[in-house]
Amino acid sequence: MSLLSFFQWLEATPWSITMRESEWIFPFIETVHVLALSVMLFPTALMDLRLLDLVMRRESVSKVRSQLMPWIWSGFAAMIVSGIFVLWSHPVKYYNSPFARAKAVLLVLAGVNAIVFELTAGRDAAAWDQGLTPLRVKLAGGISLLIWISVVVMGRAIAYG
Amino acid sequence: MLNWFPGSLPFFEWCGRTAIGMAVRDTIWAFPFIETFHLLALASLLGSVLLINMRVFGIGMRQFSVPQLARMLDPWILVSIAVMLVSGILMAMSEPIKCYESYSFPIKMLFLGIAIVYYFTVQRKFMVSEGAPPIRGKVAATLGILLWAVVSIAGRGIPYI
Repeated sequence: MSLLSFFQWLEATPWSITMRESEWIFPFIETVHVLALSVMLFPTALMDLRLLDLVMRRESVSKVRSQLMPWIWSGFAAMIVSGIFVLWSHPVKYYNSPFARAKAVLLVLAGVNAIVFELTAGRDAAAWDQGLTPLRVKLAGGISLLIWISVVVMGRAIAYG
Repeated sequence: MLNWFPGSLPFFEWCGRTAIGMAVRDTIWAFPFIETFHLLALASLLGSVLLINMRVFGIGMRQFSVPQLARMLDPWILVSIAVMLVSGILMAMSEPIKCYESYSFPIKMLFLGIAIVYYFTVQRKFMVSEGAPPIRGKVAATLGILLWAVVSIAGRGIPYI
């Protein structure tokens, strides 16, 4: 089964049809998606800016991280769940949208960036936890920030493209 | 139609005829571009409000005190409000009649006014003062979250109702 036929099947499911025919279900899901964005994006941006040594420089990276990760994960979970419903409501439209495709690629890149950081940062984290971060940590933070802003840009563009 | 601003139609019509209103309306991608800034600022505003006010309930960034968080995030809130006002005015001027005819728009404007006044009069002073009575702090925090949530939800409603 190709991805397109899967999306076509998804579009024909009763719940997808219900979402498209309802006047309020889509705006409701979209509002949840936007509210969840605040929960996820701002703590993520703070974390990235800390890795870039631009905010909370006097606080250790591990402390900032421990304080922000629960917010980031909660927001991320709410984004994924509400995002699945958004996708489910107009599957073929999003399949054909270049912005939706770009957003999907960016989400994968964000994941790869995070995993690479997790796997490599732990090695000498103790050396820079309290002070200035090394270049590769700044790079990871900068890339993450850029990717997430691009995800928002693409997300908004989908509605108009 | 909610006629909350009697006799205001000429003003809304004038907004649509201004150079700014026409430029945003007639430039392709201008609206989504501005809307993306509006959305990013929303994430930072709502994210900050949430981090501070949930901390009042002992939820979230517990290794920081409420006054510490409030001082740290106050600049984010101020800059976000400024970006949201500028981008919001640009968007509203590009489609003033839609705003005039929307149920959500007057509700959003009303609560936006209340939320801004509330932030500068009650919340900002309250949060940075150490040892404020816990009950009053919790009431103030709940109101802070609710006010901005209503502003966001009513804002998302403008394109629909």
